Amino acid sequence: MNQFKVLGEFYFSQLLGTSIYDKSGHNIGKIRDMAVRWDGAYPQIVGIKHIRKSQVLITIDQIASCSYKEVRLKENFEIEKAVTLHENDIYMSKWLLDKQIIDLKGSKMVRVNDITLSWVMQENMQRMILVAVDIGVKGLFRRLGLEFLFKNHKNELLSWQYIKQLESWNSNLQISYEKQQVSELHPADIADLLEEMDYKQRANFIDSLDDQQASDALVEMDLDSQVEIIEQMDEQRASDLLEEMAPDEAADILVELPAGKSAELLNLMEVDDAEEVRELMQHEEGTAGALMTTEFIAFSAELMTEEVINQLRELAPEAETIYYLYVVDQAEHLQGVLSLRELIVASPKTTLHELMHTKLRTVYVTDDHQRVAEIINKYGLLAVPVVDKQGIILGIITVDDIIDILIPDRGKLDTYSWFALSKWGGRGRS
Amino acid sequence: MMNIFKNMRIRLGLFLAVMGPGVVTAFADNDAGGIATYATAGAKYGYGLLFTLLISTICLAIAQEISARTGAVTGRGLSDLIRELFGVKWTFLAMTVLLIANIGTTASEFSGIATSFEIFGVSKFIAVPVMGLVVWWSVLKGNYSRIEKVFFVLCATFLSYIVSGVIINPPWEEVLLASVTPTFARDADFLMIAIGLIGTTITPWGQFYIQAAVVDKGITAKDYKYTFWDVMLGAFFTWFIAFFVIVATATTLHANAISIETVKDAAIALRPLAGVYASTLFSFGLLGASMLAAFILPLSTAYAVCEAFGFESGVSKSSKEAPVFFGVYTMTIVLGAGIALWPGISLDLIMLLSQVVNGVLLPPILIFMVLIASNESIMGKYKNPKWYNVISWIFTIVLIILTLMLLISTIAPEVMDSLMKLIGL
Repeated sequence: MNQFKVLGEFYFSQLLGTSIYDKSGHNIGKIRDMAVRWDGAYPQIVGIKHIRKSQVLITIDQIASCSYKEVRLKENFEIEKAVTLHENDIYMSKWLLDKQIIDLKGSKMVRVNDITLSWVMQENMQRMILVAVDIGVKGLFRRLGLEFLFKNHKNELLSWQYIKQLESWNSNLQISYEKQQVSELHPADIADLLEEMDYKQRANFIDSLDDQQASDALVEMDLDSQVEIIEQMDEQRASDLLEEMAPDEAADILVELPAGKSAELLNLMEVDDAEEVRELMQHEEGTAGALMTTEFIAFSAELMTEEVINQLRELAPEAETIYYLYVVDQAEHLQGVLSLRELIVASPKTTLHELMHTKLRTVYVTDDHQRVAEIINKYGLLAVPVVDKQGIILGIITVDDIIDILIPDRGKLDTYSWFALSKWGGRGRS
Repeated sequence: MMNIFKNMRIRLGLFLAVMGPGVVTAFADNDAGGIATYATAGAKYGYGLLFTLLISTICLAIAQEISARTGAVTGRGLSDLIRELFGVKWTFLAMTVLLIANIGTTASEFSGIATSFEIFGVSKFIAVPVMGLVVWWSVLKGNYSRIEKVFFVLCATFLSYIVSGVIINPPWEEVLLASVTPTFARDADFLMIAIGLIGTTITPWGQFYIQAAVVDKGITAKDYKYTFWDVMLGAFFTWFIAFFVIVATATTLHANAISIETVKDAAIALRPLAGVYASTLFSFGLLGASMLAAFILPLSTAYAVCEAFGFESGVSKSSKEAPVFFGVYTMTIVLGAGIALWPGISLDLIMLLSQVVNGVLLPPILIFMVLIASNESIMGKYKNPKWYNVISWIFTIVLIILTLMLLISTIAPEVMDSLMKLIGL
C-alpha cells in the first residue's frame, strides 16, 4: 500500500537555528545545516547537522515533531544512531543558500533566497524532501524577518527540475535531465547566461556543453566576450570550438587574439579549416573581405538542375545560405546567380546556363561595410557575392552578417566599469 | 594595412595597459569632495595633515590591492561574495552602508557641479537639475562613453595643482618633514578633517568599484601582476594630486592666514600658475571630476545592490525587466541632487561632510573585505599574507577609534578632555 502523507512544510531559512530536544527533554543542539542527497527524482535530506564542526548527522526518521520553535526526537539521542556525511551529500546552507543557480525556465541567473522543504510519510518511512527554491523578494525579506511587508506577494518558487547548479560540487550530482534541459535552451539564451557568469562558472558551464552547443552559443555573444572566453579556455577545446564555427566568425575572434595565441590555435585546428580562416584573417577589419564567409555554393553553368539538386543535398549542411546559388566557370569567375526557388521550379533537364541571371550585384573585397550594406539594402538581397579585381568569387556576405555590424550590441555597455576607458586597459595585453 | 592597424592597437594597448582600473579609480577618487577636503585641510592645518595623507594612501594601496586581487581570483564582485559568505542579514547591512555612503557622495558630486557653475554665475537651481538629467538620460541611452571622455580630460586640469605647487616653491624641507611627522589634535574640527581625509582617499564605493572593474575586464589570477602595478600607480596618483593640493593651499592660504570660506577659495592656490584664470581653471577641473563621479556612483550603487540580492540588472534591460536596478539608480541621483538643491544648505558642508560619512562607514566594508581575502577556501594560495591582515586590522581599529573620538568630541567635548587625561595625552 502506497501511503503518502504530508506531515509538514517548512522554509529552510526558518528552520535554521531551531533547538533540538531528545525524548527526555534534553537540549542536544540546534539545526545548523542539513545534508542533502541528490540521487532519486527528489533531492532529500539525509540528516541534520546539530553541532558546530561535527559531521555527525541526526537522521530524519528520528524526528517525532518538527516546528519552527523546536524539534523533538522520538528517543534519546545516541551517537550510534547518527550517520555521518556521505561523499555525495552536500550541505544546504553552505552550498545552496545564497548561491547563484541557473533558472532553466526563465534562462537567467538567480539567487537562492530560501528553500522549501516538505516533511512526508511514505510507506511508513519519514522523509524530508526539497521541493523548490525561493528566488523572490518575499523569500529575501523572510530572511530579514520582514516578510510581513510582502504579505500580498506570491512566493517566486522554482521547482528542482528547472535548476542547474553552477558549481559542480560533485560529479555524481550531474543529473541526467539537466543536460537535456540545457540543450533545449536557445543558443542566444545560453549566450546571455554565459555573459552573466564569472570566468570559473563559465568554464564549468561550457564544459557541460557539447562542441556544437558551445560554439553556437559563442557565435551569439559579442566579440569582446568571445575573445575572452576563447583566451581563457583550454587550447584543445578552443580549437575544436573554432572548427565548429563558420570560418568568418572564427577569423574575427582569432584576429583579436595576441599573435602567438592565434597561431597556436590555428595549428591545433584541422588543416583545411585553419587554411580558410587564415585567408580570411588577411583582410582588413571592416572590409567586405573581413565580413565574408567562404562557405557559399557555386556550380558550373553546364550542370542540369536535377544534378544540381542532388549535389545540393550534400553541400547544404556546410553552406551559410542555400537560397542563392552562384554559377562559376573553371577559373571560379562569377558568371551568374539563381535562387533556390528558380532551381526547384525549373524542369529537371534545364542547364543552369539557361536559368541564371547574369546581371549581378557584387562587391569588391576591399569595399567597406557601408557599401556592402547599401547594396544589400538597395537590391533587397539576402546575400551579396564578394569578388576580386578579376571577377573571381571569394565569398559571400549574408544580410545577418551586416546587421551585426550596423546594430551594435547594447550588451557591451552592460557592465559597470565601462567607465574604464577600454575593455583591454590594465590587462597587459600588449 | 592590417599591420598598421595592429601596430596602432599595440601602441594604444601600451597606453591603456597603464590606464587600468586602479588608475581610473584614483582619478575618480579625487572628486569634488576630495578637492574640498584637501583644500580645507591645507588651508586650516597647513602641512599638518600631510602625514595622515601618507598613511591613508598606504592603506588605500593595501585596500585596493585586496579588492583587485579578490576580484581577479574569484571573478566575483564584492557584494556577491558578501552575500554568499555572510548571508542575507550581513549583506543587508553592507548594502545599507554602501547606499548611505554613495548617496552622500553623489550629493557631494552635485554640490561640486553646482559650485563650478556658480563660479560662472549660473544658479544651482538650474545647473543641478540639468546636469542630473544629463547623467540620468545619457546612461539610460547608452551614449555615455563618448561624454565620459570629455569629463575625463577636464579632470586632468587638477594636474595644474602640481604645476602651481612647484611654482609657489614652498619650503620643501618643512613640507617633507611634515609628511613623515605625526600631527594630532583631539578637537572635533581636526578629527573631522582627518576622518574626511581618510574617507575621501579610501571610499566604500571605490572598493566595490575596483573589484567589479577587475571582474568585468576578465582579469584572472594569471594576469594579476599587471593589475597589481596598476593599483599601486593609482594609489600613487591619488596621493600625488592630494599632496600638491594640500601643499599649494597650505602655502598660499594657511601661511598668509587666509581662512578658506568656500571651496571656491581653493582656486586662489592656482593663481601662481593661472593668474586671473585660476577660478576658471579650477571650475573646469571641479566640473570634470564631479561629473565623472556622478556618472559612476549611481550606476555602481545599482549594480552592487542588484548583484547582492539577485535582481535583474543592466542598462540594456527595460525598466520593467529590471525595476530594482532602475529604481536604485534613479533614487541615488534624485536624492543626491535633492540634497544639493536643499534651499539654504551649504554646498561646502555637503562636500566635506559626505567624506566624513564615507570615513565613518568604511570600517564595516573593510572588515568584510579582509575576512573574504583571508578565507583560504575562496582565495586559495592567493589569500592575504599575515602581515597584511595585521596592518588592515590596525587601520580598521584606528579608524573606528577616530570615529568614536569624533562622536564624543562633537556631542560632549568635556568627556573627551577627561578621557584624554585618563590615558595621559
